[in-house]
Amino acid sequence: MLKKLKSSLGNGKRRLLVIVAFIALVPAAKAGIADILSIFQTINSTLRQAGGVLNTVQNLKLTVANLETRVIWPVSLINQARNFVAANEAQARSLLSGIQNLSVSSATLVNPSQLESIVRSAQASNVGQLQGAFTRVYSSVSSPTAAPPLERNMMDMDDAAAQGSLKTALASDQISLQMLNVATGLEQQTASAAPGSAPMLSTQARVAELENQAYLTRMLAAELRQEAVQLAHENALRKKSADSTRTLRMNLQQILAQPSGGAQ
Amino acid sequence: MKWRRFKRLWMRVRNKIAVITVVVFVLLLLPPKGHGQFGIDLAVIQTGLSVISNLLQSVVAKPLAAIQQIEQQAATFEQQVVWPISAINQAKATINQLQGVLVQTRQILQAPIASATLPTPKKLEQALLSANPGAISQVSANYTAVYGAVPAPTDAPQPVRDLMDMTDAEAQAAMKKAVELDALANVELQTAEQINQQLQGAAPGSAAILEAQTSAWVVRANAYTQSALAELMRVRSISLANQGAQLKFSANHTSNLRSTSGQVLQPAAR
Repeated sequence: MLKKLKSSLGNGKRRLLVIVAFIALVPAAKAGIADILSIFQTINSTLRQAGGVLNTVQNLKLTVANLETRVIWPVSLINQARNFVAANEAQARSLLSGIQNLSVSSATLVNPSQLESIVRSAQASNVGQLQGAFTRVYSSVSSPTAAPPLERNMMDMDDAAAQGSLKTALASDQISLQMLNVATGLEQQTASAAPGSAPMLSTQARVAELENQAYLTRMLAAELRQEAVQLAHENALRKKSADSTRTLRMNLQQILAQPSGGAQ
Repeated sequence: MKWRRFKRLWMRVRNKIAVITVVVFVLLLLPPKGHGQFGIDLAVIQTGLSVISNLLQSVVAKPLAAIQQIEQQAATFEQQVVWPISAINQAKATINQLQGVLVQTRQILQAPIASATLPTPKKLEQALLSANPGAISQVSANYTAVYGAVPAPTDAPQPVRDLMDMTDAEAQAAMKKAVELDALANVELQTAEQINQQLQGAAPGSAAILEAQTSAWVVRANAYTQSALAELMRVRSISLANQGAQLKFSANHTSNLRSTSGQVLQPAAR
């Protein structure tokens, strides 16, 4: 019968029949609404979960914000710190300058007073005047006729070490003043700094500290030279004493040898 | 005749009529309402989408808006309180200004401090103030030229020669250490200058790295200072030991003198 129908229907008719059958079958898809509802429920559930996560994120953000504004960087404490820095700087400045400006110069005579004023001038440009002032107080190295070469060398070396240290101290005083200015500048800037800009100032302070440490090392080097010269001086005197003893012994030997020769 | 024609016509159209009948029948079976296509109910979809929209507004959009507000407040707080650009620029300006002061400070130590006047001390002083570790090898010879060598064994007792040698050794070591320290101080100053230059172009976030680097150098500088103090302690210790040795030598001499005097005076007493 199917064959009969197939043969009796043309191609166009067969296609038409297939379409009609498909349309007829579509109502069966009505059962998919349940699936759609299920999808909606899934979306609903997912959104609610996402909402829960968002709420957690919101709470976290709020907690972090509270931590930052109330614990780490509370504006009131930042302002309090700034005020403290400003007040402390103002208070310390007058106190420190009062102590710093106290005169410690104590020489009474003309030449020592001149030397002292140069030595305490805190002006490295005065280094050139130091040698003359030093010589006026401590005299120059004896002439070759007045002292043996060893003693003259020692005198010169002692003078050089002493003057070297005085010059280093002079330069060091000026450096100290400059460093105090750096400290004051940093402190004043700190009084208006923010927590974010303070590390930059802090780094600058560390750099200045490193430089200060380098100058301290230079000072210690000068001190070492001076102490070494002092030690060498004492030792040279010891050697000179040994040399004098040797000379005395030789002279005595010569003297003791002479009378016996004269008696003969 | 008519019947035959009718039959022929019926034979032609009967299949078509059958198909049309089937189609009409099928269409009659379709759902009476035209709400959906392919069997999907639009009302259900509308309701579902409406629920989703409400959910998006209440569950997602609301917290997101709150988060945005918090983020906005945090950004404002960070920009105005923690990292205000004005304060950062002020700090940079201060750093630039202080850099100038530090450069001037470095120039202060350039002032010449050499003061010796005689040729031999001048040579020694030149080596001592050279800040050149390569000049350390010249120190011993220049030192001996100024302060002399340890006397020959015939010219001084062995204990005295030992004392002199030790004293010379320490004095020379201190001088050499001073040359080293000057050279180290120069390296520290150069480093400080380099870090300062980096700092001028730094941001608050990168400044911390430079600070850590500077701190490491400060630790290093402190170590050098400590080694300098150790050398200074050695110099003073040797000086103190010399004073003690001097007393011991004097005591020995006095003892020897007493003993010799006793021997000299004994025959006369008899």
